[in-house]
Amino acid sequence: MDQEMLAPLAGQVLSIKCAVGDAIEEDDEVVVIEALKMETPVFAPCDGTVKEIRVKEGDSVEEDDVLVILST
Amino acid sequence: MRRYFEKMGDVGRELRKGEVKRTEENVSALKEVEAEVDAAVERVKTTGLSTEKINERGQMTVWQRLEYLVEPGTWCPLHTLYNPLDNPEDTTNVIDGIGKIGGKWAVVIGFDNKVFAGAWMPGQPENILRVTQVSKRLNLPLVWLVNCSGAKLPDQEKFYANRRGAGTPFYRHAELEQLGIPILAGIYGTNPAGGGYQGISPTVLFAHKNCNIAVGGAGIVSGMAPKGHFDVETARGLIDKAKEFKADPPGTVKTHYDETGFFRYVFDEETEVLDALKDYMSEMPAYAPRFFRVAEPRPPKYPEDDLYRVVPLEPKRVYEFEQVLARLVDSSEHTEFRPDYGPEVYTGLCKIDGFLVGVIGNRQGYLGKGYPEYGDYPGIGGKLYRQGLIKMNEFVTLCGRDRLPIVWIQDTSGIDVGDDAEKAELLGLGQGLIYSIQQTDVPMICVVLRKASAAAHYLMGGPPANRHNAFTVGTAASEVYVMHGETAAVATYVRRLIKEDAAGRPLEPVVDQMNELAQQYQDHSRPVYCARYGMLDEVVKMSELRRYLVAFAGAVYQNPTSICPHNHMILPRIIKG
Repeated sequence: MDQEMLAPLAGQVLSIKCAVGDAIEEDDEVVVIEALKMETPVFAPCDGTVKEIRVKEGDSVEEDDVLVILST
Repeated sequence: MRRYFEKMGDVGRELRKGEVKRTEENVSALKEVEAEVDAAVERVKTTGLSTEKINERGQMTVWQRLEYLVEPGTWCPLHTLYNPLDNPEDTTNVIDGIGKIGGKWAVVIGFDNKVFAGAWMPGQPENILRVTQVSKRLNLPLVWLVNCSGAKLPDQEKFYANRRGAGTPFYRHAELEQLGIPILAGIYGTNPAGGGYQGISPTVLFAHKNCNIAVGGAGIVSGMAPKGHFDVETARGLIDKAKEFKADPPGTVKTHYDETGFFRYVFDEETEVLDALKDYMSEMPAYAPRFFRVAEPRPPKYPEDDLYRVVPLEPKRVYEFEQVLARLVDSSEHTEFRPDYGPEVYTGLCKIDGFLVGVIGNRQGYLGKGYPEYGDYPGIGGKLYRQGLIKMNEFVTLCGRDRLPIVWIQDTSGIDVGDDAEKAELLGLGQGLIYSIQQTDVPMICVVLRKASAAAHYLMGGPPANRHNAFTVGTAASEVYVMHGETAAVATYVRRLIKEDAAGRPLEPVVDQMNELAQQYQDHSRPVYCARYGMLDEVVKMSELRRYLVAFAGAVYQNPTSICPHNHMILPRIIKG
């Protein structure tokens, strides 16, 4: 089953902490978004494998944009 | 009122496995800063003569006296690193804090007899003013351990005179006494001149047999025949007189116990002086805790050590405020005030050691779509917006009405700016909050958990704009500055950049200056610096924060000057609806 990880707010992708194929555990930090001078980490909602990364560092994202897709 | 307080709503949750895993570095980083603070504290403790040297003279050090005097586990030191005028000895030469003596909370202060025999030193009057302010605000007895050789004469111009000079503690003592706050003094050693007034100005004097207090000591008395200059003949005369006065200095117990009676008691042993202070303290007016407690004291459900994982040292990182709260308050329970309004700020009622307190803190992170309601931009926690300011104004006003002490937990980057924010009246609402705080007249403690910045530091219970602030503690993550260093560098140099660019000159020199300024802000906002210059009254380990809150709550409710019966409180009913 695929699990989409969404941007919690609009901002810029500061860093991506995973690569396609990585095994991820629940609560691992996967992406960090910078907005309003603050860094908002996005955590894995469950264990899984990174199936797809839809953004790259420096991208601007809107709230609810898909960042990463996990296979669970 | 049991139904309001015995079981309140749960707050916080256990840390998840992933949170524990990814916060290992943060734990190490915070503990590294705490180790720097410990090293600075150790320098203060070991400055001056060694403990052995003092003990060889038959005296205890101030640290040994404090350890003997204060009940184990209750000592909460304050101003340990305070040294605003950069004394090379790393101290203002007084050691203070709050702790229990004889079962009662007291403010305690003593001269460090290892350093110039406990002399007055630069920065000390301001230190003492802060201490007397703690006593005044918390209505706590002040206990002095006097052992003061008088002014450190080569530095007298830095502290003797002035609006906040070394004489001000004496009127502050008088002021405390007028308010009904007693000052007990255990007196040791030689206390001439300024030391003499340090000895006489308290309420009840407990003397060690070898002590003296005097308007002028042997040094002054023997030097009172100047020719207008010094020569060898004068010097020899001084030697003879000094020897004579050293053998029999003015103001000993023979004078001030047998004759004037200034010393109410005299004791042979140093520890007996301290025993007598304990005895007196046990008789100080105080309510039994059950008079004010709303529930049995209980520890938080979650370990206080979790705070090393919950609070990121990196100031740009967000976290859940509720996770902090859950590790500080009894049973990890609370009753939140207006949870659906002003989401950037937490306001609520909690229990600390069974006592009811109001808590106000900054939430972190994105505040959700449509907030702030007056702007077309997203809101982020740490900043203050219209609703949050209104909510805090309401909450502190109601806390004042219900006589509830307030715990402020600051991690704020400032108030929202721009024309939308101006139209939303944030300037007026901010100053309005300072007015609201002022009219409450309840004791407050401020915890600078991480950032304390801009006017938000003032109006969220910070000491610069709040005379009800008893004291302010920081943590390893604290940063205090008017704005972030990078912001300050931009504000300072942006016009210059434009000018240089237009003139076709290289930008590197300006950029270097910008980096220097940003670094200076970083260096001057860190915990040890802030404690040294008085922005924080103490830097406290994350795992010790609750102990300070317990001391604060216990002190506030020991002997308050006004009471709101639990059954008359309105705030819990407003929350319940």
